[in-house]
Order: sequence, then C-alpha cells, then structure tokens
Amino acid sequence: MILQTTTQQSALVTTIQVKEANLTVSEKFKTELFGLLDTGGKYIVVNFEQVTYVDSSFLGALVSALKHAITNKAEIVVAGLNKDILGLFQLIRLDKAFKIFDTIENAVADKAK
Amino acid sequence: MPVSKRILLVDDNALVLEMMGRALAKEGFECMKAGSAGQAMELLKDERPDIILSDYHMPEVNGFEFRQNLINTDFKDIPFMFLTSEVDSDAMLEGINLEAVDYILKDTPVQVIVSKINNFLTTVREQHERTLKELSKAAMALNLHSVPQKLPAVTGFELDFWHKSFQNYPGGDFIDFITVDERHTFIVLGDVMGKKWSAWYFSFGFLSYIRAAVRICISEGNFSTKSILQKINSVVYHDPVVNDVLSSLSLVLIDAEDSVIRYSGAGDLPLLYYSSKNDVAREVRSSGMLLGLMPDGDFDEIVLDLSKGDQLFILTDGIIDADTDNGKRTDYNSFVEAVTPFLRKPFADFKASDFLKWKTKEHIDDCSLIYFKKTS
Repeated sequence: MILQTTTQQSALVTTIQVKEANLTVSEKFKTELFGLLDTGGKYIVVNFEQVTYVDSSFLGALVSALKHAITNKAEIVVAGLNKDILGLFQLIRLDKAFKIFDTIENAVADKAK
Repeated sequence: MPVSKRILLVDDNALVLEMMGRALAKEGFECMKAGSAGQAMELLKDERPDIILSDYHMPEVNGFEFRQNLINTDFKDIPFMFLTSEVDSDAMLEGINLEAVDYILKDTPVQVIVSKINNFLTTVREQHERTLKELSKAAMALNLHSVPQKLPAVTGFELDFWHKSFQNYPGGDFIDFITVDERHTFIVLGDVMGKKWSAWYFSFGFLSYIRAAVRICISEGNFSTKSILQKINSVVYHDPVVNDVLSSLSLVLIDAEDSVIRYSGAGDLPLLYYSSKNDVAREVRSSGMLLGLMPDGDFDEIVLDLSKGDQLFILTDGIIDADTDNGKRTDYNSFVEAVTPFLRKPFADFKASDFLKWKTKEHIDDCSLIYFKKTS
C-alpha cells in the first residue's frame, strides 16, 4: 500500500508513505486513489508530508485522479508539500488545479466551510 | 538498466532464511524475507523484487503452489527459483512446466547458489536489453521518432537541442520543429507524464495532434500560439484515447522577419530568456495548465522582441531534477545556476558541460533542452 487512509471529520486523509514518489509507485498510487474515489470518497486530502521528491509520472497519476474526481463530483486537495514540491506545483500551474494547504488540519477544516 | 539486486527469500525454516539472507546480503543483495507463501504475497504488495528464491517444502502453501498463484498476477514476470531438497525428477519437471525458470538443490554450497543467482539475473537482464534493442529497431524502421533527426535552418537564428531519454528507453519527452515557410518556424517541446514505452507511445499521439493543430491554424492564417494550444487542449480533453494521459507543452513560434517570438505554454516549465543587451537571464512564465486537464486551459501568449545575441532555453523537468546527498529534489534554479556561466559561450560548450554530463549519468527522467539564439 502506498496510501494510508484515515477519516477525519467527513474528509478522507490519505498519506503517501514513500519518500520518492516516482514511476515505481505511480501506477499503484493511481489505482489506490481511484479506489478511494470509487468507494464514495467525496473530499480527499492527499498528504505529502513524507514525500521529498515527485516525478512527472507520479504527478500524472495525481492529475489523472483529479479528472476522475471531477467526473465523480468529488474533490482532491493536497497538503504538506515541502518547499521544492510546492515550487514545482506553482511552476507548472498545478496550484490552479488543486487547492493546496500547509497542514492537514487546514485542509480538513476547509471541507467544513 | 541499473544493476539492482533485490531478492525475496521464502522459507519456513527461520535458520535457512537467516543464513541465506546473510550470505546474499554480503554479496550486495537487498533481502526481503518471508516465512511462508502468504507472508511473501504480503511483502510483494509493497515492494517488487528482482528475483524470488523460494523453498519447495513448506506447510500450507508449498513452493509450487506459491509459484502457481503468482502466475495469475502481475508478479508472474519476476524471475523465480526453487530452493529444494527435492531430487525427484518428476517434481523438477513440474517446476519447469510452471515456467519456474530455475531451481537449486538445498545442499549446494552458498557461494555456488549466489553465483547461480547472479548468472541468472545477468541472463534475464541481457534478454531484456536484447528485447529493448529489437523494439527500438522496429520503431526506427517505422520512422517513429519523438525527437527530430535534423535541425531546421532559420535565417538569423541558431538552433540546437539536447535530449537524453530515461535509462535509454524512449520516453515521454517529444521535440519537433515545424517549418512553415522561411519566416515562420514552430518549436514544440512536450512531456507526457510517464516514462518508458507507454509514455513514448502517447508522445506520438500528442505530437500528431499538435502538428495537425498547427497546420490547421496556419491554413486559416492564424499564427497565434494561444489559439493553437486551445485547439489542441480541446481535442485532447474530449478524446477518450488520450484524456487520461496528461502532457505539458511549450509552443514557440519564431518570426524570423520581425525578430519576434510568440510563446504559449501548458503546464510547462518557465523558459529562460537571456537578454544580451542587459546581460541578464530571467524566467518567462506562461499561464496555461496541462493539456487535457480542464476544458479551458487558461492559456496566454507572450511576445518577446529579440535583439542580436539574445537566447532562449526551453526545458523539461528532467533537467531540473537532481540527486543530492539528501535524496532527489527538483530545483529550477539549479539549471539557471548551471547555464549562467555559459551564456556568453557557444551552446556546444554547455552541451559538453559537467552539468549535462551528470544528467546523463543520473538517469532520473527524460531530459530535454532546446536552445536558440538570435545571431544577426
């Protein structure tokens, strides 16, 4: 399992449990995240706190899940990005596609709004 | 292909497991140990070994049954070896029928076991490389290139590029130069978000759409990079064949007559623009999102007037990834710092630089860099 998922209030918080999020885990990540959406997850917080590096195939999987979420009328937000990864999200404008939160708590709280 | 040696040992005898584990670790293997087939299945969910070495006689699920169970899963391609005290030739035959690639008798000295595993892994690797070569040859024969074979001539400009694929697999980066007429040349750099064959396959799909969109817009007298991107985005967004695959794209039109470039980007990295008059380099950022992500990609079009000596660099993310002491990281500034000392030198010097040589060695991702300079 790449993801460890807990329910916090009515949000699903799913933590990526690898340091290097790359090609070797991207397919599994995509399957697991799609699984969360297909079993009814409507607000999913993807927690990057343990991740130090992401490659484009992993981002591709994340973005592909976002498209799936939109189809399912669900939402995927991200939290806990380190400085480099946040920089990358901004560089390639993924910050326009995802709501980005500094902490899980803020991400979960936003759901309540 | 890097030489990785992760082995999954499966044996119900804790002593054998420990002993084999130690002997293999000494030889540079990274060992995953399981006391039963069930435990092995659990470990496989988390990490994929390069080879499995399994005992034959185990309670509950024996080695053959374990192998049989793997055949219906994604793990069937992992080279498999039986470690067995079974000398019965029928059982051996059964093992081979299960596409078990080899077996070792338990009383074989550990050193011999290790060298047998090493030989076996080498054979598998060589086979893999041969297959790769054959596939590459077939692609070449079909004239499928995702990077151009030659550079276009653009009056008053010098153009060049540097490209390295991920672990020498063809991958997700694609480059194209589309010469419309003497005045107009399009430069295309994209990165399908994935690696190896699947990304490579989709890079052709995207490239075809891009070429078509460019030609259609031109035929309508429309030379706006923004509207070309909008067209491509709309097609990609709605096409079920490619809409699950995301790609970045930098599209630059060089107008050689007016010494102007037009640039639109989709989820791409900023271009680096060097002004020779001011002797400074700065990022040029576009606003567009990845191709196919949203029905409206929010594209813009940036126009730059170029003077003699001005340079532009267009790049994909492999260039800004680096392997550091603290693991891999992504840093655009690492590229800016590396290229800055070369801005007043020929591009060939940067191509031969330690920075790009190192990128080749690191093999983190596909890397592409397009360079052009206004020369007169």
